[in-house]
Parts: sequence; structure tokens; C-alpha cells
Amino acid sequence: MLSVFAAPRLRWFTLPGLILLPALAVGAPAPAELTQAWTSIANSRPQDVLRKWDADRTSRPEQLAWATAQLSVQPTTDANLQAAGKVLTGLAGGDDELAAEAAYLQARLYQLYYAQPDYAKAAELYRALAARRPESHWAQLGLVKLAMLKLYVVPDSAAPGTDRLAPAEALLAGIHEPLLQRDLHLQIGQAGIALKQPLARLLPHLVAADRIGGISGTAHEDLVVQLSVLSLRAGLPAQAKFYCERYLAEYPDNARAFTIRLKLKEAEQQLAKEAAP
Amino acid sequence: MRRRTRRFGFWLLLLAYGVASYWVFTRSTPVINERPVTIRFAHWQIERGPPDGVAAAIKRYEELNPRVKVEQLLVPGATIYPQWMRSNLAGGMGPDLMEWGMWMSGTKDIPARYFEPLTAELAQPNPYNRGTSQEKIPWEKTFHDQLLGPRRDSPDPGQIYAVTISETSVRLFCNIELLKTITGSVAAPKTYDDFRQILAKVQDYARRTGRLIYGLAGSRDNGLWVAENVFSGPLLGVTRELDDPGYLYLYDRNALAAYLEGRWNYHTPAVEAGMTLIQEMAKAMKPGFLQLLRNDAMLEFFRGEAVFIYTGTYDATTLRRMSTFKVVPMRLPSVTPDDPVVGRYVIGIGGEGSGETGVAIYLNRNSAHKAEALDFLRFLTSVPGNQLFTDNSGWLPSVNGVRVPDEIKNFREYQLGYTLGQAPFDIIGSEMNLVWNQNFYRLMGEHGSVGQFADALDQAMPVAIRKDLQNEMRNTLLLVRPQDSIIVATAELAAGPPADEAQSVRQHGMEAGQTMSEGLAFQMQLELEKTAGKK
Repeated sequence: MLSVFAAPRLRWFTLPGLILLPALAVGAPAPAELTQAWTSIANSRPQDVLRKWDADRTSRPEQLAWATAQLSVQPTTDANLQAAGKVLTGLAGGDDELAAEAAYLQARLYQLYYAQPDYAKAAELYRALAARRPESHWAQLGLVKLAMLKLYVVPDSAAPGTDRLAPAEALLAGIHEPLLQRDLHLQIGQAGIALKQPLARLLPHLVAADRIGGISGTAHEDLVVQLSVLSLRAGLPAQAKFYCERYLAEYPDNARAFTIRLKLKEAEQQLAKEAAP
Repeated sequence: MRRRTRRFGFWLLLLAYGVASYWVFTRSTPVINERPVTIRFAHWQIERGPPDGVAAAIKRYEELNPRVKVEQLLVPGATIYPQWMRSNLAGGMGPDLMEWGMWMSGTKDIPARYFEPLTAELAQPNPYNRGTSQEKIPWEKTFHDQLLGPRRDSPDPGQIYAVTISETSVRLFCNIELLKTITGSVAAPKTYDDFRQILAKVQDYARRTGRLIYGLAGSRDNGLWVAENVFSGPLLGVTRELDDPGYLYLYDRNALAAYLEGRWNYHTPAVEAGMTLIQEMAKAMKPGFLQLLRNDAMLEFFRGEAVFIYTGTYDATTLRRMSTFKVVPMRLPSVTPDDPVVGRYVIGIGGEGSGETGVAIYLNRNSAHKAEALDFLRFLTSVPGNQLFTDNSGWLPSVNGVRVPDEIKNFREYQLGYTLGQAPFDIIGSEMNLVWNQNFYRLMGEHGSVGQFADALDQAMPVAIRKDLQNEMRNTLLLVRPQDSIIVATAELAAGPPADEAQSVRQHGMEAGQTMSEGLAFQMQLELEKTAGKK
């Protein structure tokens, strides 16, 4: 086997190259180290990243990892958040997926992290991100968050009689990812209940969320019960029957099955009444 | 020479002492580990039974996995466990696996902060079920109730954080000889009013004979359990009225918000009816029972000074092994619409569903041996592992396909009926529960009255309930915030190279869960703003 060090020409080229390589690599992330950093953050150990790295990382992916770690490290301090914010602002100025990711986190800072949330600023950042890179996953996710802000804290109009769901529905049109469409449908439906909107306005969103599917945990069971009960309240016995039967098929032994059986009977009675001449 | 040797010996001794001290204060493991990996499993089920059951499962697991040693840590629950758990988790010294319960006051933030969701793992079959009836069935579906409690108590509605190892129900355990002596019959009460009549007979018997006998063995814990049961009957109708989302179930946050909106209070007739039933139960216990603990009630029962003890089937093994008389488990009859005292406020019978599994075990997010800890959990909740637990503990299994011993089969006979929600209106929040407990004496004794108790509660509750709803919101946000970093990190790992599909699934699952939790926090914020300044 030919060793690179065996050929004199190659040796003269390779040795300085090997020495210079780390210096040339400044600005490009070492993949293993970066993967390790993301793994630590994904395992809720941001402190491991911050122990190794500081704010002056030069590659953009490493800067993003550092700022992401900084967001979740305990204790949360304004200084930590501001340092992360500064890095994110710098990264968000780019024109790639990483910039979109940073812009999304920047908006989250204003919505959730600072002691005094600035919902208007967060909304503005989500909107700007969606305008700049509409197809990015982070812009799409940002639209879900923007819609929730509009539903609850920065409505277009809070005047009595205003359709509070309409602004969120308008944003739904810009979301192409089915899972995010589902999540927003579900949120519009739940907000409709909290905001005491008519059942006819909110129920189609809950149905749409269920049709896209994939909701897990107790949220799935709750949704099927909810669709059974609210359909009955809305005077849609056929839909109520469908969901009651589905609940009983999926959760035959659960505590709510007893009442769902009663609701199913109620739905069937209503259907029989409707069918009667 | 001898002096030098002595001095050397002295320094050697000092060094050994120093090393030993260092080890004791900085490590929790033995100096020499017999196996490369040690995982620690902490729980508070120190009753007769469960430690034997877990030990049997550990023994078999260690035979199958020679690399791993599992240590069972038994920590008394009522007083020590919550503080012990928090300080260990905060200090990064928490065991790999830990029991946790939603009802432990002041610990609601723990799962979000310290535990790892198991949702993705639960969607896959449990490998230890190979060759059993549960083979190829997703792990989550192998549990008798499909993990009802962990799904309900999850801080994140899209995730499941725990698995359960047993199933418990609450029963009236009766000293049958004493019942016969007092009432002339061994028949179990069929209605709530039958039970009321038995308690009256016991009181009369004690007065006539001068014997120190009560209807119910009393302690703070047993009092709370029986209060929960009887209180919830009349609340079923209130729950139905407040169920705007159509869940057929009232989450604590909804009950708290409805109070702030003025939709119910402690003078609401059905709520007062529930408190009347609590008063009846409290009168059947010895005076001062609130100062006593569960063990005191057990001793009272063992001494033959109480006809019944109302407790969970988790005490059944202890009762069976330690009592000198025959103990018969009975069901406390639900209060029904034909009850002569409170029937007009009752819409129907409260249901127990088909049982709820319990003893929920969580995986410490900071565990150094997550894979091994998860593997042990899989074994403990597999058909063979859970069978060992059941056979050696006398507790019900949590897993389908496990054979239930004859003597505990009737613990699985459940009452069908309406569902209430997370809790009756005495424990829907920790602040409000404090107010309830501080004023409970107003319901007790000769001068105690429901009206006086309700007055005091409605005076103090608006502030306490507002605090509880704020805490609920804060705890939800506690969960939401750190998820941003995890979502971004999993997205990066998913993108690779190499692309990682499992990380992608995790990312999208977390995004959905986070959005749901955020929605809940917004809803709570809306309620707090809407009701600010309301009395």
C-alpha cells in the first residue's frame, strides 16, 4: 500500500497541508462536534455545549447551536437571553434555512422567553419570516404561532361581534405542511370554544384536524370525545354517531365509554326522528 | 525505624480515610461494581408486597442481563419522598427511574423539568412480550387501561411520560366479625343509605356498650380518600354543566376557570350536598383523625376499633397478612338519585371506568443509563415481568395477559357510570387545597356546619384559585420553553447527514405537543385576564 509519506512530492505537499488544515477549517464546522452539540441539546443537556463552547464560535451552524443551547440553559437570565438574541439576529440576516431557523427562534424569544413578552414584536418577526422564506418549515411553523397570537393576544379586532377565528383562518391558507395545518385547525377549534364562538364555525376545524390524523396521547382521545359531544350539540347526529362509534371501537373500556354509549343512543334517537315521515 | 513505620501507617490511614470520605460524599455506588451498569429505581410503595414483587422482577431481569444491576430504593412516600425527589433531581443525582404522582402537591413541574417522554417507544411492541399474548402489540396498548393516568397527567397533551406497573382501586375493607357482632348481619351495604345506616348502628353500639369502636378507621389520608369518593357523586351534574369543550370530563384548569367566572362556588347546592356527605363520613371517624396518618388508621383497624377501613387495594396485602380477623373487601356504594338526603342533586352513578393502572414510573431525563433503564421498564411491564410482580406482591397487574391470582380477582369489578374529571372540588389546585384544609374544622364536631364551611371557603378561594390557575399556566409554559431548543436540535439531527427518520418523527411530535400546550397556556391567560378584578 502506498503511503502518502512515501512519495517525496506528496510528502512536501501533504505535511504542511495537514498542519494547515485545522486553520483552513476555521469557519467550517467539525461535523462530529456539531452533531454532538445538537445531541446534547436534544437530550436537554445544553450545559454540555456551553461548557465546551463560548459565544465567539465562528461557523454559523456552531453559532446557532450555541444560541439554541443558551436559550434553554438554567438558570434563565436576561444576560443569557440577550446574548442568544444577538447571535440569532446576526444569523437571521442570511438567506438560507439556517437563517430561517434563527429568525424563528428570534421571534420565540420575544413571545416566550423575555420576562416581559412582546407579542406584537414576535408577530412582526413571524410575519417577516413568512414573507421572506414562505416555503421554509420554520416560516410555516411560525405561521401557526402567529395565528395563535392573533387568536388570543394580538387580535386584528377585539370588538364584540368580531369573528375572532377569521384572521387565523386566513393564515391557514399559507400553510402547506399537512401536520402544521392539522395543528392549526386544532388550535382554531379549541380557541373557538374558549372564545365562545358558534359551534358551526369551530367544529369543521376539529373535524379537519382529526381527518389529517396523527394526534397522539390524551389529545387524541379528547378530540374524539369532543367531536362526539359537540356534533350532537350542533345538531349533527350522523357525525356524532360516527365519532361515538369510533370512540367505542378505540377505547371500549375507558371511563368515558359509559357516557359515550348514552350519547350514541341519543344520536341514534335523533336520526330516527329525522328519518320518520 | 519503628517511628517511621508508625508515621507511614498513620498517613496511610489518613489517606484511606480521605479517599473513603470523598467516595461517600461524591458517589452513590459501591467502590467495586459487580456489573458495568447500575440503574437505580426509586418508589414509595413500601407496603407489604410491592418491594417483593419488584425484587422478583429485578432478579429475573439481572439473570437475563448480566451487564446490568438494578437497585430498588424504597423511600417513604407521605413525608419524605417529594422533598427527596426534588433535591436529588435538582442536584443531578436523581435515580434513573422514579415513581411520581399528580396528587403530590408542589411537584407538578417535575415531569416537564426532569422526565423523558416515552411516546415514541410506547408506539413499538415490547420485545420482552415475545412469545406471549401481547407480542407485536404496541407497548402502550398492552396496558389494561392503555395508560389512562399517564396520558391524563402528562404535562404535554401529545406525549406520554410514564408507564404503570400495577392497578389499584379503592375499597371498603370490613372486619366481618365485628360487623356481625354489631349489626347481626355480614351483608355488604347495597346502597349508600344502607352504609349510612350501618354507620349509625356502629355509633349506637359504641354508645350503648362503652366500647371504643368507630365505623371507619380514621386518618388524614383515609379521610381524604373517602371524601373524594362521596364528594364526587353530587358533583357529576356540576361537571356536566361546566363542560364547554365537550370532554365529558373536567380538567382542573377548567374547574378553576369556571370558579373565577362565577359559574360555581361552595354554596352551589350540589357542592353543598357533597360537603354534607363528607361531614357524614368524618363523623364516623375518631375525633382528631386529621392529625393521624395512614398507618394509624391501619393500627386502629387491626386493634378491632373500627368496622371498616376505606383504602386502596394497595393496602390489601398488608391487611391480609397482618390482621388477626377475617377481612372482606366491599365496594362503597355510590350515592344515587334516590338517596334520601342528597339524591335530588345527583344525576346518576359515578363510574370507575374499567379500572385505572397506577404506580407510574418515569425515566429521568438526565439518567446516565437511559437505554438500560428503559429496557428494565420494558421488562417490568412485560407479561413475564409483570407476572412476577403480581405473584410476589399480591397487587393487581397493569398489563394484559398477566394471570390475576384468585384472591384479588374481585378488585377488578368496577362500577360503570358517569365520569367526573381530574378531581373533586377540594383538590383541584394546591393553594385551594390549603384553604380547604385550613377551614376543614368548620365542618367537623358538634358545631360544624356545611354553611359555615362554605362561607369561609368562598371568602378565601378567589385569591387561592387565581393563584392555582396562574401556577397551572406557569407550569405549562415551563414545559413549552425548553422544547424550542429540543425541536431545533432534533430538526438538525433529522436533517443529518445522515438523515435520521426517528429524529424527524420526534421533532414533529414535539412541535404538535408544544403547540397544544401553548394553546392551553393562552386559554388560561385569557381566563385570568377575563376574570381579573372579579370577586
